[in-house]
Amino acid sequence: MSARSRQRLELGVLLTPATLFLIAFFVVPLVIMMVMSFLMPGLYGGAEWEFYPHNFGRILGFADPMFEEFDPVYLAIFWRSVRIAALTVLCTFLVCYPAAFQVARLPERWKNFCLFLIALPFFTSLIVRLFVWVLLLRQTGLINEVLLDLHLIDRPLDMIYTDGAIIVGMVYIYVPFMFLPIYASVEKLDWALVRASQDLGAGPVRTFLRVIFPLTLPGVIGGAIIVFIPALGNFVVPEVLGGAKVLMLGNLIEQQFLAARNWPFGSALAMLVMAAMLVALFIYVLTEGRRGSDPALGL
Amino acid sequence: MRIARTLGRGSLALYTIIFFGFIYLPLALIVVYSFNANPINMMTWSGFTTDWYLQVLGFKTKISENALYLESTDQLLAAVRNSLVIAASTTAIATVLGTALAIAIHRYYFFGKSFYRVLLFAPMLMPDIVLGIALLIFFVAIGAHLGLVTIIIGQCTFLISYVFIVVSARLAGMDRTLENASADLGANEWTTFRKVVLPQLMPGVLGGALLAFIISMDDLVITYFISGVDITTLPIFIFAMLRRGIKPEINAIAVMMLTFSFVVASLGLYFRSRQK
Repeated sequence: MSARSRQRLELGVLLTPATLFLIAFFVVPLVIMMVMSFLMPGLYGGAEWEFYPHNFGRILGFADPMFEEFDPVYLAIFWRSVRIAALTVLCTFLVCYPAAFQVARLPERWKNFCLFLIALPFFTSLIVRLFVWVLLLRQTGLINEVLLDLHLIDRPLDMIYTDGAIIVGMVYIYVPFMFLPIYASVEKLDWALVRASQDLGAGPVRTFLRVIFPLTLPGVIGGAIIVFIPALGNFVVPEVLGGAKVLMLGNLIEQQFLAARNWPFGSALAMLVMAAMLVALFIYVLTEGRRGSDPALGL
Repeated sequence: MRIARTLGRGSLALYTIIFFGFIYLPLALIVVYSFNANPINMMTWSGFTTDWYLQVLGFKTKISENALYLESTDQLLAAVRNSLVIAASTTAIATVLGTALAIAIHRYYFFGKSFYRVLLFAPMLMPDIVLGIALLIFFVAIGAHLGLVTIIIGQCTFLISYVFIVVSARLAGMDRTLENASADLGANEWTTFRKVVLPQLMPGVLGGALLAFIISMDDLVITYFISGVDITTLPIFIFAMLRRGIKPEINAIAVMMLTFSFVVASLGLYFRSRQK
């Protein structure tokens, strides 16, 4: 066997299994879901083999006149999810930026320890981390008990089952996603530029706004996107902390699949989540992608 | 000016401490309350007890004599067993496939690498609910029985990417001159791979496997959609408990899970820092 054909064989052995696996169980299911979103819902669940654009119409404004009038409720749920995800991004940013900034400037030993502390929650159970906030926020929860004992309030506050509770829960679980990209960009910051700005007479606020923040912006945008994408379709947090009152896109999709059994409509909703994800990624490519591929991945 | 700067530094440091408090105090709270003897209101301290732990582990306690507080230990143990079986299988499959892909992409030149960039990034970026329902539709369409096998396949679709990234990072940091030295000294390619490449690669492979195991144990959303009716994993079990209303033994289960993942993650990160 020639060296070249042996290399080919090796490459084939290494590549083929994973490639086939990912095509069969990742690409094909997504394609089926896309097709499904354009099919007519069957009467008893499932789908009929007929082109039917009204799954998207129900959401976007051209509902099937045979069955219903257009109801903007789905669009409202979509915007509400976008709003909650965007607020989550904003809050994680505000919470993480100062801390990431500080940690990036610590001496090596402390830095590594802090990074360890940031990474650790990522390895701990998500559902357990959410459960804590039920204990804290509910009517008989710790925050209410403490406030009542201190006589700051005379009846328990309604904190759980609100949009605020959802955002707090999401911020809590997505903190590492925002922290690490910001930390990486602060770490790379060229402090000579900061000193130059100070030497040229800029005050601290101006130096921050004109020099430091723009230079760390790529990290912020990266973090914003990897927080926004999972936050938009999240159904666990609204389910646990939002109760039945607060419906988000994720809950709506779950209902279509496990309760209402309208799979084509659920698929159309999922396509909407995917479209929003692609828009977010597109923004990322526009702002950051020009710098070239990620060297860590070797691609 | 100087005072202002010192003040600024001080408040930033103080803020960072509060930030870490925000992350860890809630977790510390569960640990404290998992020892609370009060069966009615979890938040009111009425004495120290380890009964919740004993009860979760299936021992008879004063609490379990009261029928109101009986959560099925058998179900919990079944969920733990399922989670371990799934995590072990997915880790094995994803580690082999992800490592093979990483080696192929790092070591060989071939047409279509950018295709793999999409194929490997997409499963990690895809919102998990989208992947979950796509897999559900797919498995139902091909008539597969939803259960352990579908969960294992479903989780592997994104775990391969995690293993790939960890192993790739290791490959990128490896010293290729050692391989040349091995070849110069007369070792054939296979011997070089076994004796030189593999030992260097191993920390990356183990790191990737560990990450895959932990993510698999914790996966809720994708598993939720493709688990069918008769398989419950640990995260799904807790999710269901939370939906029904909280009972004190959740604290004890949560603390045991936290301890497990802290130990595994600390070991992993410790070994990684040693190898640098």
